[in-house]
Amino acid sequence: MEPALRLDRLAKTFGSTRAVDELDLVVPRGATYGFIGPSGAGKTTCIRMIMSILFPDSGELSVLGRRSALEAKDRIGYLPEERGVYRRMRVGDFLTYIAQLKGVPESEALPRAKDLLARTGLVDIDKKKCEELSKGMLHRVEFVAAIINRPELIILDEPFSGLDPVSVKLLKDLVAAEQRRGATILFSTHIMAHAEELCGHVVMIHRGRKVLDEPMAGLRRQYDTRVIQVEPLDESSPMQSLGQIPGVAEVRPMADGCAVHLHPGTEPNAVMQRITATIPVARVGLSRLRLEDVFLRVVAADAGDREAEQALRADLQGLGTEGAVA
Amino acid sequence: MNKILLIARREFLTTVVNKGFIFGLFLMPALLGLAVLFGPRLLGAMRSPQVVGRIAVIDPTGQVLPVLRSTLSLSAIQERRQAEARRALATVPGGERVASSPATREFTPAPDLTIVERPPSADLESEKKALSSTDQSARALALVVVAADAVERPGNGSEFGTYSIYASRDLNDDTERAVYDSLREAIVTARLNASQLDQKRIDTMTRVRRPVSVTVTQAGEQRSRRQFMQMLPFVVGVMLFVAVIMGGQQLMTSTVEEKSSRVVEVLLAAVSPFQLMFGKLLGQTAVGLLGMAIYLGLGLLALYSFAMLGIIDPMLIVYFLVFFLITYLVFGALMMSIGAAVNTMQEAGSLMGPVMLMLLFPYMLSPMIGRAPNSPLSVAISFIPPINSFAMMTRMASESPPPAWQVWLTVLIGLATVYAAIWFAAKIFKVGLLMHGRPPNVATLVRWARQA
Repeated sequence: MEPALRLDRLAKTFGSTRAVDELDLVVPRGATYGFIGPSGAGKTTCIRMIMSILFPDSGELSVLGRRSALEAKDRIGYLPEERGVYRRMRVGDFLTYIAQLKGVPESEALPRAKDLLARTGLVDIDKKKCEELSKGMLHRVEFVAAIINRPELIILDEPFSGLDPVSVKLLKDLVAAEQRRGATILFSTHIMAHAEELCGHVVMIHRGRKVLDEPMAGLRRQYDTRVIQVEPLDESSPMQSLGQIPGVAEVRPMADGCAVHLHPGTEPNAVMQRITATIPVARVGLSRLRLEDVFLRVVAADAGDREAEQALRADLQGLGTEGAVA
Repeated sequence: MNKILLIARREFLTTVVNKGFIFGLFLMPALLGLAVLFGPRLLGAMRSPQVVGRIAVIDPTGQVLPVLRSTLSLSAIQERRQAEARRALATVPGGERVASSPATREFTPAPDLTIVERPPSADLESEKKALSSTDQSARALALVVVAADAVERPGNGSEFGTYSIYASRDLNDDTERAVYDSLREAIVTARLNASQLDQKRIDTMTRVRRPVSVTVTQAGEQRSRRQFMQMLPFVVGVMLFVAVIMGGQQLMTSTVEEKSSRVVEVLLAAVSPFQLMFGKLLGQTAVGLLGMAIYLGLGLLALYSFAMLGIIDPMLIVYFLVFFLITYLVFGALMMSIGAAVNTMQEAGSLMGPVMLMLLFPYMLSPMIGRAPNSPLSVAISFIPPINSFAMMTRMASESPPPAWQVWLTVLIGLATVYAAIWFAAKIFKVGLLMHGRPPNVATLVRWARQA
């Protein structure tokens, strides 16, 4: 069967900026792909090319077996990063309109909209005007608009950015339901925690280039945890002394203790025993695999200085402008 | 195709149910209707009171005064006015009916003037002084002094004498005119009498009734309707101008709103930029046609009620609709492109200048085209897009309509222009809809159209 999405050496340049650089990608049907990378990596440009909103300078793509998304728009659900509504339209009218534009018969459009709205916790709002809704409610309406045509392929561009934790939870449930329905999902985010939770497969892009294309399971094996988090019982404990333990590469102080980074191949269990023997600890444990660490390791070669790495890490954690992480 | 119609329907409905639109559409006909219904009554209420007064006359000839008594009488003044009104309305189609309707009854009643005869020996200075007397009941409205040679000349070669008139400040323009007219008639009659000429014979011999010209065309003969037809392009031009500006403005505003509310990329998830652009254009064109149908209908109804329906050639209405559609689509597409390119309505201002100029230019030229509908300039302008539709309308409504091939050429050029404008708008939509930031200028737009 044709994959849901195939990009072949896709490239796009804006002025002197190479936004997307020779990108190859195959998304099989039914898969959930996380398209991750820091802000400005080229995710949105790539998605707009997939949607035939922008056109590549070179390279080819196929969407649901068609040469262009224009031929399959009714089978695609797309939530753009820059999204909005007709503010003066009623919610029900707006969703009916969008549904009809996506080929849903008029009689089916409103019941579907109401059902999906109810599943996002919005009951009896179809008669309200869009301008009367809060920002969080509008986000959910926009999300409903994206999937109202029961698409085979769902493309979500930064679906959770700027959302409150409650909305994020509701929308994640909706994404999970679409996964179960059998839809192929590609969603972009620069916040790695969202990808960790939802994706079966991760594609990382950095400065327009693909730097990683792996299933989550493989990532966990490949990037085995080599960090032990230590929270001392007494804050005055000499944490730097942990650096003397064999196999420890570096000890980085953190807010409530320190992170002990190990040399490759070191057995974490042995080191943990040595740590508890060296200082009294409140808590000691292996840190979970975090995509931001993977990403930083992948791009470490060209990241270079520490300051740039810090900025990148802050972006990937969704700090700064993007609000709370669920 | 279905998507285009869906977009068109939404654009049409949101525009038509808008309060501002309904208000604007019906305001003008409503005002016109009110003016027709209540105008005469309002004017009637403004009727000035009848002037009653005396005119002092010094007539050394003794021949003018007896005639003046009849020509300055109330009934003579009224009769003269009615004759004047009939002459003025004779050139307007349906004028006979209008002239006899009560609406055109004179708004200023004829003055009731009494002649006070002063002897030729009266002292001019003291008579003049009487005009400025503080006692209003004592003073006359005016003093007329007929020249001694006003009726009979000393020699045959010299000119007749005339008369002088001294007015008090009570004399208004209307009464003064009545006095002039009466005196003129009285002096002429006195002169004719003195020369023993028969007034009636001279009247009959000097009158050549003006015929209504008949235009001969291949289709046959028809009564000319010059005056009316010169008005028609003007009226039609105003309608076209207002409709295109209103529709174009609406298209631009709605596009800017879709862009700034970020709903546009949500729409692009379902439709292509071309479908969005063309759907909006069609929807708005339907709005324009609706408005035009209402105005045209009212106009024809008005003509029908004056029994003047026959003076409009039905083909002219068909051509008008064709040219209306062409102009509307071209300017709608251009205004929409501007909407798609900018971020706010403020930024649209600088780009709208050239478009407005293109729209105004033929309108300003229309009197010139109307006067010389087949001059090389007029012919050339009717082939230059996008202003040609309007020029051709003016020419077609003129006395000497252009040959059919020119009309068809203009229509063809118009259709090609529509195609080009839609092509341009599609390109701008493709590039501009997702562009935010520095507003583009005309050169940038052209570059976008080339690259897209």
